[in-house]
Amino acid sequence: MIELIATLAVLTLIKSTPIIYAALGGVISERSGVINIGLEGMMAAGAFTAVIVSFATQTPVLGLLAGVAAGACFGYLLAVAATRFKVDQIVAGTGINLICAGGAAYGLVILFNQPGASPQVPSLGGAYWSLVIAAFVLAGALQWLLFHTRWGLRTRATGENPSAVVSAGLDPLVLRTYAVVISGALAGLGGAFLSIGELNLYSDGMTAGRGFIALAAVIFGRWNPIGATAACVVFGFFEALQFVLQGQIAWLPANAMQALPYIAALIALAGVTGRVRAPAADGVPF
Amino acid sequence: MRRQLGAIALIVVLMALAMIIAGTSPIDGFTALFVGALGGRNEIGETLVATSALLFPALGIALAFRAGLFNIGAEGQLVVGGLCAGAIGAALGIPGPLGIVVLLIAGAIGGGVWGAIAGWMKARFGANEIIATLMLNFVAADFALELVSGPLKGPLAAGAETAWLDPKYWLPTLLPGTRLSIALLLALVLALVLQWAFTRTVFGYDLRASGEAPEAARRSGINIGRLTWLALTLSGAIAGLGGATIVTGELHRFNTQLSPGYGFTAIAVALVGDLQPLWICLAAFGFGILESGGLAMQASAQVPKDAIHVIEGLIIFVLAARRYVATRIEGGAP
Repeated sequence: MIELIATLAVLTLIKSTPIIYAALGGVISERSGVINIGLEGMMAAGAFTAVIVSFATQTPVLGLLAGVAAGACFGYLLAVAATRFKVDQIVAGTGINLICAGGAAYGLVILFNQPGASPQVPSLGGAYWSLVIAAFVLAGALQWLLFHTRWGLRTRATGENPSAVVSAGLDPLVLRTYAVVISGALAGLGGAFLSIGELNLYSDGMTAGRGFIALAAVIFGRWNPIGATAACVVFGFFEALQFVLQGQIAWLPANAMQALPYIAALIALAGVTGRVRAPAADGVPF
Repeated sequence: MRRQLGAIALIVVLMALAMIIAGTSPIDGFTALFVGALGGRNEIGETLVATSALLFPALGIALAFRAGLFNIGAEGQLVVGGLCAGAIGAALGIPGPLGIVVLLIAGAIGGGVWGAIAGWMKARFGANEIIATLMLNFVAADFALELVSGPLKGPLAAGAETAWLDPKYWLPTLLPGTRLSIALLLALVLALVLQWAFTRTVFGYDLRASGEAPEAARRSGINIGRLTWLALTLSGAIAGLGGATIVTGELHRFNTQLSPGYGFTAIAVALVGDLQPLWICLAAFGFGILESGGLAMQASAQVPKDAIHVIEGLIIFVLAARRYVATRIEGGAP
């Protein structure tokens, strides 16, 4: 029993990590006033690029960095669309999700000549535990950065009242661009953790809605880094529980159990009725 | 309209690029695409099968979108609709034509319930409908797989699928010798009805008002909560009906390969069609060509079919330049 609880605890930490990175990205982005629906795609881009670079260089750390860079690139794409062209952020983000998922599937065939999944590549191995710890450290750091530094105040102001930021002599669009690029980079890191941390390959659909679960965590965590992280741990717990129970209890409906984390996210979304408030200018172009 | 033409030009350029990257000349690639999509009776049939499969979810998405609600759950609604039709169809014992109607209604109810869950969450709790509808896609896929692997699995089925429908419950064939059923006609009629409803009825006006100016709509007495609930339910019901037509018209049983991502491609279809049902029909035909020609292109010109999904994504990204809703605030009751 104790062994089971220990397994569950360890798995919970591992399963929460990629969602935490994406959710922290989501918090920064939404605090600056841009809803990043593209987190899911940016995770896929990070996961895929990490595998490609790890394969080409045989150095997983470079793969990790490349994954972060890939996420940041798509973050920049969304940032430009949201700031310069003032597009509908939701629609643009959905486009990014399809571009990344489709692009990775296309890339698998072009580069490896095999659809569905990449060959196995060098993974981070035991080093991925440092990324698990880093996720929680980052959550704390971000909480401090957002609420106790000048950058944090400015970013939050941009998400609440961009006109006031202009009055202070700053450019909200620049602040939003920074925020969304960081958001993409973090989602890319989460994706790279999935592909070359937890596993050692990319397979189609491997992000499995985690970008959206992260968005649910952002809301459930009331747009606070630590709150969102706590929500991610809850969702990670259900993912881990599903794994552990499947191994332990044969008669459980295995496929239906896989829906557990999604159902948890749905309940969390509905459970915060009227008690949360998004940044006032969240999703509103300036 | 200019934007739509731009989107088509973008498709052509990007397809050519995808072909060049894959090491095929665009001439060979496009030839393979168009021959594969329109080169004969069977090819045209398959293209129109894809057209009708895309048309239902695209019309549903357009309905919700007009109300400012982004339904990215059409994929799950298709699956639930198909599952309901397949499960009931395998057990039904009534005359043919009546049975078909029952199965289509069952599909619409299934998809409608799936949409209603998100609608109720949005209206009652202010839950973000985008995340909710997407989460429900996964729940639908997992539960459908569970059911057809176990309780609903056909007695003779090798894989995870329901029993085959009795042929009397198959939708009549439209183009003999192909898999094209009258699902296409149903979709076109539905498009006409929706075109009328969107432009000529109070309901259509309310949808637009609450999508484009929610505060003004609320003050003019429109019950936004009820409309939200209704729009997502109808949106899901239309997609679910589509799932039922795939089961009764094409697969003749339900399995989890029902949709190769039609629910997501349909977002591009709805946007390229400018949320107007008649234009959506045209857009669905265009994407139907890409869907069915894409398979041929992959087989004969070695251009991965997934290139099409990248292009769909880019088109959605580009078309985001239009402002669809006034403001979108997450959380909190509306």
